[in-house]
Amino acid sequence: MADVLRAKNLTVSSAGGIAVLRDISFAVARGEIIGLVGESGAGKSMLGRVIAANLPGGFHVSEGSLDFGGADLTRITGEARRQLLGREIAFIPQEPLTSLNPVLTIGQQFSEHLARIGGLPRSAFREHIVQALADVRLRNPEDLLQRYPFQLSGGMCQRVLIAMAFAAKPALVIADEPTTALDVSTQATVVQIMRRLQREQGTAMVFITHDLRLAARVCNRIAVLYAGEVIEEGPAGEVLEAPRHPYTRVLKAANPVLSGPRHRLRTLPDQMPTVEAFARLPGCRFATRCPVADPACAAAIPTLREIAPAHFVRCSDACGERAAALVEAEPILVPPAADKGSEPVLVLEGLSKHYPGKADWLGRRKPGTDAVKNVGLTVQRGEFIGIVGESGSGKSTLARLIAGLETPTDGRILVAGEDVTRADSKARALRLETLQMVFQDPQSALNPRRSIDHIVTQAMEPTGASRAERLERARSLLAETKLSGELLERYPAQLSGGQKQRVNIARALCVTPHLLIADEIVSGLDVSVQAQILNLLLDLRAARDLSLVLISHDLAVVRYLCSRVVIMHHGVVVEEGEVDRVFGDPQHPYTRQLIAAVPPDDLDTPWPAPVAVEPDNAEGLERASI
Amino acid sequence: MGRIALELLLRRIILAIPILICVSALIFILLRLVPADPVAMSLPPGSSQADYEAMKQALGLDRSIPEQYWIWISSLLRGDFGTSVFFRRPVIDLVATALPATVELVVFSLIVGTLLGIGGGMLMFAWRGTIGEQVLDLGTTAIMAVPEFLWAILLILFLGVAVPLLPFIGRLDPSVSLPPSVTGFLLLDSIMTGRPDVLGSALTHMVLPVIALSIGLAPLIMRVLRSSLIETIMEDYITQARLRGISERQIILHHALKNAALPTISLIGVQGGFMFGGTVLVEMIFAYPGLGNLMVDAVRNHDLPVVQVVGLVYCVLVLAINAIVDVIYLAANPKLRMA
Ligand SMILES: Nc1ncnc2c1ncn2[C@@H]1O[C@H](COP(=O)(O)OP(=O)(O)O)[C@@H](O)[C@H]1O
Ligand code: SF4
Ligand SMILES: [Mg+2]
Repeated sequence: MADVLRAKNLTVSSAGGIAVLRDISFAVARGEIIGLVGESGAGKSMLGRVIAANLPGGFHVSEGSLDFGGADLTRITGEARRQLLGREIAFIPQEPLTSLNPVLTIGQQFSEHLARIGGLPRSAFREHIVQALADVRLRNPEDLLQRYPFQLSGGMCQRVLIAMAFAAKPALVIADEPTTALDVSTQATVVQIMRRLQREQGTAMVFITHDLRLAARVCNRIAVLYAGEVIEEGPAGEVLEAPRHPYTRVLKAANPVLSGPRHRLRTLPDQMPTVEAFARLPGCRFATRCPVADPACAAAIPTLREIAPAHFVRCSDACGERAAALVEAEPILVPPAADKGSEPVLVLEGLSKHYPGKADWLGRRKPGTDAVKNVGLTVQRGEFIGIVGESGSGKSTLARLIAGLETPTDGRILVAGEDVTRADSKARALRLETLQMVFQDPQSALNPRRSIDHIVTQAMEPTGASRAERLERARSLLAETKLSGELLERYPAQLSGGQKQRVNIARALCVTPHLLIADEIVSGLDVSVQAQILNLLLDLRAARDLSLVLISHDLAVVRYLCSRVVIMHHGVVVEEGEVDRVFGDPQHPYTRQLIAAVPPDDLDTPWPAPVAVEPDNAEGLERASI
Repeated sequence: MGRIALELLLRRIILAIPILICVSALIFILLRLVPADPVAMSLPPGSSQADYEAMKQALGLDRSIPEQYWIWISSLLRGDFGTSVFFRRPVIDLVATALPATVELVVFSLIVGTLLGIGGGMLMFAWRGTIGEQVLDLGTTAIMAVPEFLWAILLILFLGVAVPLLPFIGRLDPSVSLPPSVTGFLLLDSIMTGRPDVLGSALTHMVLPVIALSIGLAPLIMRVLRSSLIETIMEDYITQARLRGISERQIILHHALKNAALPTISLIGVQGGFMFGGTVLVEMIFAYPGLGNLMVDAVRNHDLPVVQVVGLVYCVLVLAINAIVDVIYLAANPKLRMA
C-alpha cells in the first residue's frame, strides 16, 4: 500500500546544533495508524511541529525528509503548506477545552472550517455540520451549534474537534495525546469514534501518546521514542507483549496493571535527559539509565536493527542477551493485613460538605453543590486506601475535609479516636502530629525561595530546633525518600518533577505522621517516575507503619498500592471494598463503566467493550443547560 | 442577551441611586462651605436689608442645611432644577443647550480615539519585534506625556494660528445661523433639518477639540490591545486554527481580535469617564459652549444652583458611559452572557 507519510532520517536540531530528534525514520500507509510512544520530552510533539512548521524558536530540520504525497514537508513554503493543513493533514489536539475559541460558537467555528475547506455551498453548511456532529455521537447537534466551547465538557469539545479534523476527509490525521486531558471514562468513547472515522475514510494516522497499552490498542505499529530517537519500532501487539529494547521492557514493567498478580514495579534511576544533556551523550542516549549498559554503549550510537520481521531495535545488545535478565519478574507484592486490633487512624462518619451557590455578577444565586455527601470511612493503621472518581466527584474536597482545610457541613471526623470535626486548637494540634497532606502540584506547593533542607524541615520551625538538628533531619528525610544529599542546598526550580514530588513527601514525613493524604500525587508524572514514587510509598509503609489515603483517577495505581478502594461519584460513595473484589467483580454500574474505560492488559480482550461507549454527553449537557 | 443586558442596566440604575444621593449631598455641602453669598448676588444693587431678608427667605437660605438639601432634592425630583442666579434663566435651559455639545464632543473623541487605538494597536502588533514597533512605542510615550489642555493649545498654535487650517473658537462659524433645535445635538439637528452648511461648520469646529481629547486615549488602547493580542495568539485555539489552515489574516480578525478586545473595552469604560474631566479645560480653551464652559462660568459667578446641577449631570454622564461600556462588554463576552 502506498505510504501517505514517510519520514527518512529526520533530524531536528536546536540553535546550538543539538539533535532533539535524531535520525527518525518511519512510514504510515493509507488506513494505517502508527503510534509514537514515549515519556514527556522524548520528542513526540516535535514531529507534529515539523509538519505544521511550528518548531520552537531556534529549532530547525537539519537533516532528512518528510515525504507527504510527493512533497517534502520539511521544505515546502508557507502558502503551499497552509493549503495542505486542514484539507489534507488534520490535527487533533491534546487540550480540547482550550483548543476551541471561547468567544465563537461551535457552529461559527465549524462553518469557518468548512468555508476554508471549500467545495460546499454555504447553504449546505448547517446540515453538514449537524450530520458531522451526530456522527461523533454528540446528542442534540442542532442545539450544539449555538453553544460556546466553555459550555461543553472536555470530551464533547474533543468530539467536535475530531469531527472537524475528519470533515475534509484528510489523507493524514495527527492526534497528539488526544485523550490525556480527558476523564478515563471519556477516553474509550473518544478513541472509538476516532478509530471508526479513520477506518471509514481510510485515513493514515499518527497517534501520539505516553500510554503504551493504549497505543497497542489503537495502532497497527508502534515507534517508541526516547530522548529524540526511535529506540524500538514494530507491530503494536509485539511491542507491547514482547518488548525487546531495555527501555521498552522497563517502561512496560514500570506500569501498574489492572489484572493478574501485582509485581513490584521496575524503576529507572533519574529521568530522561534534557536537550542540554544530549550533548554529553555521544553514544546510546539511554546509557546513563540503562540497567544492562556496558562500557561500549556510551561510545557509539547504536543502529536501528531489524531483530524480527518489521521489528527494529536500537541497541547494541539487540538480540537481548543482556536484557534477558530484565525479563526476570520482580517479586510479587503481598499487602500486609490491616491492623484491626488498634484504634483506627481515621474514622469518617456521615461526612458532608455543601457549597452554597455563588451569586453571579447580576446577584443571582445559583443552586449549590453537595461536593461530599454522607461519606463514611475507616482507615486502620498501616492501611492504604484508594479513593477513585472522575474530576468533580468530590475526591479533593474529601481530602481537604480530612486535612482540616475545609469545615464539614455535617458528620464527624475522628483522628486516632479523637473528634476533630470542630477545628479548635486541640484538634489542630492532634491533626498536625497525626496526618499530613501531599498535594497534587509539587510546583506550587514548594516555596521557590527556600532551599530544600528548609522546606523538608519546615515543621520543625516552631520547635526552635538548631540549624544542625534540622540539617541532620533533612539529610535523613532525603535519604528516606531516595533523594541525593546533594539536593539539600538546592532550590525547587532546580529539581525535576519527580524530585519535587519526593521533596513534597519528605516534608510531609518530617513530623512522623501516621497518615498521609495524597491527592493525585503521581498524575502529572511519567510512568518511570511514577513507579519510583509508588515504590517509595510502599517502602515507607514497611518502614514506618504508615497509613495512606490515596486519591487518584488511575485505577491501576490504586490497585498497585491499596488494599481497599472507595469509588466516588457526584460526592457519594457508590462502591467500597477490597481492591481485588471491586476491580474483579464490580457491582455498581459506575464502577463497571470506570473499569471498562481502561484498556485491558490482555490484547485478546476486545476494547472498548460495548458498555464503555454509550453515547454519553450527559455530563456536558448538565453544565451546558442554562 | 437582551434580557441579561436589561437586567444589567436595571442593576446599574439601582446602584446609581445611592451614588447620586452621596454625590449630590457632597456637592451641596461643599458649596455651602464656600464663602459666597448667593443672596446678595441675587439682589439688584442698592437693595435694603429687608429686601435681603426677603430674598433669603425666597431662596430658602434661612433654613438649616439638611432642610435646604431636602428642598433641593425634592424639587429636582419634581423636575424643577432651579434658576441660575447669574443668567436669571432656568438651569434646565442652560444645561439643555450645553449638554448635547459636550456629549457630541466626548462621543466623537471616544470613537476617534478607539479607532486610532485599535488601528495603532494592530499595527504595533503586526510590527512586534521590529524597529517600527519601537518607533511607535516611543511616539506614543511622547504623546501620552503631553496633557490634553497642552495639546489643545499646541493644536491651536499650529493648525489654527500658524497654518490656519481649522477654526478653533466655538461650535459654529458666526456667519452660520443656528438650525431649529430638534434634539439639541447640532450634528443630528443639521441633518434632520437639511442644513449641510451647519453640519460642515460644526464638524470642522470639532476637529481640534476632538484631537486634543482623543490623542491621549489612543496610545493607551494601542498598548493594551497589543499586549492582549500578543497574549491571545499564544492560546491553543489560535494554534489549532493555524493547524486547520485558516489564514493569518482571518486568525487575527476572526479569532484573536475578538478575544483581545475584552480588556480594551474595559479600558475604554474607565477612560471614557475620565474624558469628561478633560472636556472642562478643552472646552474652555476652544470656547466651546458645553457643560465645561457653563460650569466654569457658574463657578466664577458663584452661581450655586448651576454648579450643583452641572456637577450632578457630570456624575450621571460618567455612570451612563460605564453602563454602556458594560453592556458592550457583555455583548462581546459570551462567558458572562451564558454564566
Ligand atoms: N519551546 C521549546 N523550547 C525549547 N525546547 C523545547 C521546546 N519545546 C520542546 N522542547 C524540547 O524538545 C524536546 C522534545 O519535546 P516534545 O516534542 O514536546 O516532547 P514530548 O511531546 O515527547 O513530550 C524536549 O527535550 C523539550 O524540552
Ligand atoms: S545500547 Fe547499551 S545502553 Fe543503550 S539500550 Fe542497549 S544496552 Fe542499554
Ligand atoms: Mg507532547
